[in-house]
Amino acid sequence: MNAQPQAETYESFVEQIPAGTAKIDLRKLNFFYGKTQALFGVTTGFAEKQITALIGPSGCGKSTLLRTLNRIYALYPGQRAEGEILFDGRNILNGGEDMAALRARIGMVFQKPTPFPMSIYDNVAYGVRLYERLGKADMDGRVEQSLRRAALWDEVKDKLHTSGLGLSGGQQQRLCVARGVAVRPEVLLLDEPASALDPISTAKLEETLLELKTDHTIVIVTHNLGQAARISDYTGFMYLGRMIEFTSTEQLFTNPKAKRTQDYVTGRFG
Amino acid sequence: MFGPYTGPACFTPKAAMTLAIEQTKTAEPQARKPRGGVLDPIFEGLCFISATTLLAALVGVIGSLLVGGWPALHKFGFSFLTVSEWNPVTEVFGAAGPIVGTIITSILALVLALPVAFGVAVFLVEFCPPLLRRPIGVAVELLAGIPSIVYGMWGLFVLAPWFALHIQLPLMVAAPPGSLLANLIQGVPNGANILTASIILAIMVLPFIAAVLRDLLMTIPPAVRESAYGLGATTVEVILSVSLPYVRRSAIGAVMLGLGRALGETMAVTFIIGNSHDFPKSLFDSGSTIASTIANEFNEATGAMHTSALIALGLVLFLITFTVLAAARALLGPAKTV
Repeated sequence: MNAQPQAETYESFVEQIPAGTAKIDLRKLNFFYGKTQALFGVTTGFAEKQITALIGPSGCGKSTLLRTLNRIYALYPGQRAEGEILFDGRNILNGGEDMAALRARIGMVFQKPTPFPMSIYDNVAYGVRLYERLGKADMDGRVEQSLRRAALWDEVKDKLHTSGLGLSGGQQQRLCVARGVAVRPEVLLLDEPASALDPISTAKLEETLLELKTDHTIVIVTHNLGQAARISDYTGFMYLGRMIEFTSTEQLFTNPKAKRTQDYVTGRFG
Repeated sequence: MFGPYTGPACFTPKAAMTLAIEQTKTAEPQARKPRGGVLDPIFEGLCFISATTLLAALVGVIGSLLVGGWPALHKFGFSFLTVSEWNPVTEVFGAAGPIVGTIITSILALVLALPVAFGVAVFLVEFCPPLLRRPIGVAVELLAGIPSIVYGMWGLFVLAPWFALHIQLPLMVAAPPGSLLANLIQGVPNGANILTASIILAIMVLPFIAAVLRDLLMTIPPAVRESAYGLGATTVEVILSVSLPYVRRSAIGAVMLGLGRALGETMAVTFIIGNSHDFPKSLFDSGSTIASTIANEFNEATGAMHTSALIALGLVLFLITFTVLAAARALLGPAKTV
């Protein structure tokens, strides 16, 4: 059964990001779905106000990694993480963390659009109302600003009070981005946000992310290698729950060190 | 051994060939007509018959209720609905008592059951440790499966005496004569009254509504809930502002079905409501519902007018239920594609 020794199978080249730039630092992160281990000792940093892309074949743990960062997994009994996730130097895996407050600082956008069953305006204002008391004018401003940032304002400004469920898929996804940035999170996690979008919507979304980079730390999981190459500053390649290679995006795509990374980015497997 | 061929004629090469040709000839039309061409119309016809049978049954029920109830409706007219005198001896029938009793017990049952059902459903979906999920889920289903007569017996032998002894009597002793409280609780202190009937009804519709609500809450895509959590919402905020609106349409439908069940429930209510045809003076007073009245009296209805009045009652119950369903639809507005 022991066909190959572990060391040979999972050679890894994880480069540390420059000291002091990390918004989130992972130390030996293990993750379990019940008894099944999904992440194995991931140690990586996500640089502040940069875009980090996570790539790798399906089931490699990219989404799982993302889901540990805002501890959304804690909604489900049986899922647990070990190790350290340092968010601004604080380990959020420690007990006693206020989950709601933490998640307000770390926004998340999912693969499929998930508009709430309410108006476009309320979709964006929803998260803001949870933590801030804004007057009508301020709230209007925040909603407009958020929708503009998500490149959606011009398309919906005349129907803000119609249901968010009535928008097209691409618009819904940008609405979710607007909703995410409206609460001004420090970190934005995106789980294959463009996988259900047409090319034009995807391009708009990518532009949006590049603009958002000025204020937010962004971590994006993507199956689209071109997308990772276009917008990210750092890229991590994952395989079977391990971080195989993590370095600057340019380096990873032009001169990958690990054989598996090389095969994956050149399209030989995955 | 190799003499002239004596076997069946078709085994000669020539005969075999003609046979083959004949077979292709007969096979050809069959091949043009696929099996579905025969089976599908039959299937469609059967489905059509099932559906129209249902419609015919509905029309038949309405028709016979109308015909049977006509003498009473014709004789008493609108007063059948507004007068609360129900006297088989003098053949004066006014159904205001049972009608009001039906509506009050059903609505009260819903008011009592809904918060608990909601709590059960939310607990099962959001908070329940996996170890408890099954036992509670099974309990809900078992509760729904208990025959109504068992509820009725329990109500009569356990709930009613307890209620009379521990709630009704102490309140009556405590209330000064003539005070508002005394008026609110007037009635024979035997525990068989509108309120206990409503409680029994509530217990009966609770598992039903809880089960449907739970199933509805489970249909919410995890990502939608996670999105709300991801914005920093607490569980209460997620449930109230995202989960419930998400299933609002179907949830109202479930509640209305529960109400329909409560309106028509017969056995349990007959046991415990006290069966008085008068207009109930308070929640602690005996009353009756349409269903309990019919169940109690149909055997003894000898006069034609009495029978007709009971059938007319059935028609009224039918109309109330129908109105509830129609109101639910109107309330929900036209179906939206989500």
